[in-house]
Amino acid sequence: MIQLINVNKKFKDKVALKNLSLEVKSGEIYGLLGANGAGKSTTLNLLLGFLNADKGQINLIDSNDSSIINQDRIGYIPENVNLYPYLTGLENLDYFSKLAGLKFKSSELREFLSECGLEKEAFNKYISEYSKGMRQKVGIAIAYAKNAKIYLLDEPASGLDPLSSNELSRMLKKMSKRGATILMASHDIFRVRETCHKIGILKNGSLVKEMFSKDVSPVELESLYLDYMKN
Amino acid sequence: MSIIFFNEWKGLFRNKLFLFFISFFLLLLFIVTFFGNIQNKKQILNQQEAKNHIRDQWDEMGPSNPHSAAHFGTYAFKSNSILNSLDEGVNAVTGLVLRLEGHKQNEVAFSESSQSLTISTFGKLKVSLLFQFIIPLFLIFLAFNTYTSEISSGRLKLLLIQGNSMSKIIFAKIFTLLSLATLLLLFTILVQFFLNINYIKLDQITRLVIFFFSYFLYYFIIISFTVFLSLLLKKSTSALSLTIITWLLWTIFIPKTVGNFTESLTPLSTRIELSEKIQDDRSKGIDGHNPFDDRKIELEKEILARYEVDSLSHLPINFAGILMQADEEFGNQVWDKHYGELYEKLETQKRNYQLSGLINPFASLQSLSMASAGTDLLHHLDFLSHAEKYRRYFIKTLNDEYAFGGSKTGERGWKASQDFFRSIKDFSYNEANFISMKNKYFIDIFCLFLWSLSLVCLIIYYSKNHPFNEY
Repeated sequence: MIQLINVNKKFKDKVALKNLSLEVKSGEIYGLLGANGAGKSTTLNLLLGFLNADKGQINLIDSNDSSIINQDRIGYIPENVNLYPYLTGLENLDYFSKLAGLKFKSSELREFLSECGLEKEAFNKYISEYSKGMRQKVGIAIAYAKNAKIYLLDEPASGLDPLSSNELSRMLKKMSKRGATILMASHDIFRVRETCHKIGILKNGSLVKEMFSKDVSPVELESLYLDYMKN
Repeated sequence: MSIIFFNEWKGLFRNKLFLFFISFFLLLLFIVTFFGNIQNKKQILNQQEAKNHIRDQWDEMGPSNPHSAAHFGTYAFKSNSILNSLDEGVNAVTGLVLRLEGHKQNEVAFSESSQSLTISTFGKLKVSLLFQFIIPLFLIFLAFNTYTSEISSGRLKLLLIQGNSMSKIIFAKIFTLLSLATLLLLFTILVQFFLNINYIKLDQITRLVIFFFSYFLYYFIIISFTVFLSLLLKKSTSALSLTIITWLLWTIFIPKTVGNFTESLTPLSTRIELSEKIQDDRSKGIDGHNPFDDRKIELEKEILARYEVDSLSHLPINFAGILMQADEEFGNQVWDKHYGELYEKLETQKRNYQLSGLINPFASLQSLSMASAGTDLLHHLDFLSHAEKYRRYFIKTLNDEYAFGGSKTGERGWKASQDFFRSIKDFSYNEANFISMKNKYFIDIFCLFLWSLSLVCLIIYYSKNHPFNEY
C-alpha cells in the first residue's frame, strides 16, 4: 500500500507539493494526472526515496504483514527507458535483475521479455538498435521480473504506439492481479482511464480531484481534467 | 559492486574506439619498455667497456710516479639501474661519469650525447612519460562522464531502484577504470621484469612494487578526482574542463612554481661562487710549492721528530707524499664543508618540494617514480658520496705509495711498480637499497594516501546528495 499524508515539498522558493494526501491500496492501479510541473515526478521521486519530504508522512507498506517496503522491493518504469546500448535486450534484463539480487535462467528471462510483448527476434539485438517502444518493453520486463510489491511508473506510455500501449495496460493489470500496488503518473487521459482503478488530478502540488475510473467515461474524464487545468 | 564492474568492462570491450586505444597503449608500452631496455643495456655495456678500458690503462701503465698517476686520475661510473628505462629521472641532466683525480673534486659530466638533440627538449619517450602524462589523460577522458552519463540517460534511477547505493555505483565505475590502469601498469612491469629476469634481485622487486603502487594510487586519485568533480558539478563538460585545468596545474604550473619557491627558500650558490669559496678556503691550507709556508714547516717538524732525524734528506720516506696527503686531507675538509652544505640544501629543497604533494599528488608520484627507478636526486647524492669516498681511498693509496713505497724525499722521478697500480681496487658502487632510504619518501607515500582517502570520503559524502534534488 502507498500512503502519502499531508506531504509538502519545496525546491528553494517553489512549492512542488502542498499537503498532498493519497492512498493506493494493494492490487490497485492509481493514475495520477496533471500538467507539467504539477508535482507528479516529485511525488514519484519522494516515493522512490530520491527526495525527502519537507513535511508529512510517506508510508510504503506490505499489506500482507504490515512491514515497511524498502526501495529494493519497488519496481520503477521511467518515461524514457535508456538501457545500456552495448548490451542486448536479454543482457540488459539479466544485468538489472542481477543488480536486484535476482538470478534467472536464460529461458526465464526470455519468458519475461515475451510476456512484456517483445518480439523474440529482438532479444539478442543490441539496445542501440531498439525503438523507444522496444526499450520501454525491456524496462517493463525489468520491473516485472523484480516481482515488486509496489510499481511506480512515470509516463510509461509516452511514445508508445497504440498496440504497445495496450500491451502495457495488460501487463499492469496482470501485475495488479498479483497483488502489486501501482502508481502511474501520466498525461495520457485515455490510457489512465483504461488501465487504472482510481484516478487523481494533481494541480500545483495538490490533489484537486479523486475518482474511480469506472465512474467516469473517457470523455467525462477529459472534460473534468481540462476544467481543472483551466481554473 | 562486481556486477557493475563486469558490466562496465563489457561496455569497454564492446567499444571499438576503446579497443583501438587500449591496443595502441599496450603496443606503445611494449615498444617503449623493450627499446628502453635495449638502450639501457647498451649503456650498461658501454659503461662496462669504458670501465675495462680505464682499468686496462692502469694495469698496463707500467712503472709510474704515483703523483703523476693521481693527476692522471680515474673515472667513477654511476651504473645504470636496470629500472632506469622506466624513469630516467635526474640522470639525463646530471650524467653518469665522474672524473676522480688528486687535488680537486669534479662534478658529474658526460651525459649521453643524445640529450643534446633538439628533440630531447621534450624528453625521451620513456615509460614514465607515458605513465605520467599520456595515460592519466586517457583515464580522464574515460572518467569524466562515467557518472553524468548515467544521470543524463536516466539509468541512474534504474540502478538505484535495483537496490544499489550511489557510492557503490560510483566506486564500481572508479574501480573499472582503475583496473584498466592496473592492467597497463602490470603489463609494463611484467615486460620489464621478464626482460631483466636474470638481473632482478630483491631490491629491484621492491622497487617495482613501489613503482606499481605509486602509479596505482595516483591513477586512483586522477579517476576519483574526475568522477568527484562530475558528482559535484553534475555536468560532464564542466567536470572535464575543470579536471584538465587541474591536471595542467598539477603537472606544469604547480611543479614550476613550487620549484621556484623552494629555490628561493633555500638558495644555492652559483657554480662560480661555490668554486671561489672553495678556492678561498683551499688557499688557507698547506702550500706545497711554497717552502716558507708555516703549516708546511710545522708538518716537516712533526715528521722529522717522529723519525728522529734532523733533515728531510735523512728521512727513510718521501716527505712529498706526506705533504700531498696532508694537503689532500685539508682539501677534503673544505669539500666536506662546502659540498656538505650544498647537499644539505639540495636535500632540504627536495623535502620542501615533496611537501607540495599535499596540494599536488603529481609531485609525490614523480618523486616516488624516480625513487623506485633509483634515478632521483637522493640516489644521485648517494652515488656522489660513494664516489668521493672512493676518490679519497684512491688518492691516499697513491700518496701513501709515494711516501712509504720506497722512495726518499727529493726523488721526484721515483716510480711505483706496475703491480702496485694493478693492486688498486676499482670503484664499485652498488645502488642504495630502497628499504634503507624509505624514510626519505615517507612524505610522498603519505600524500598519495591522504589524497586517496580524502577523495573516498568526499565521494561518499557527496554521493548521499542525490542529483534529483532539483526542480
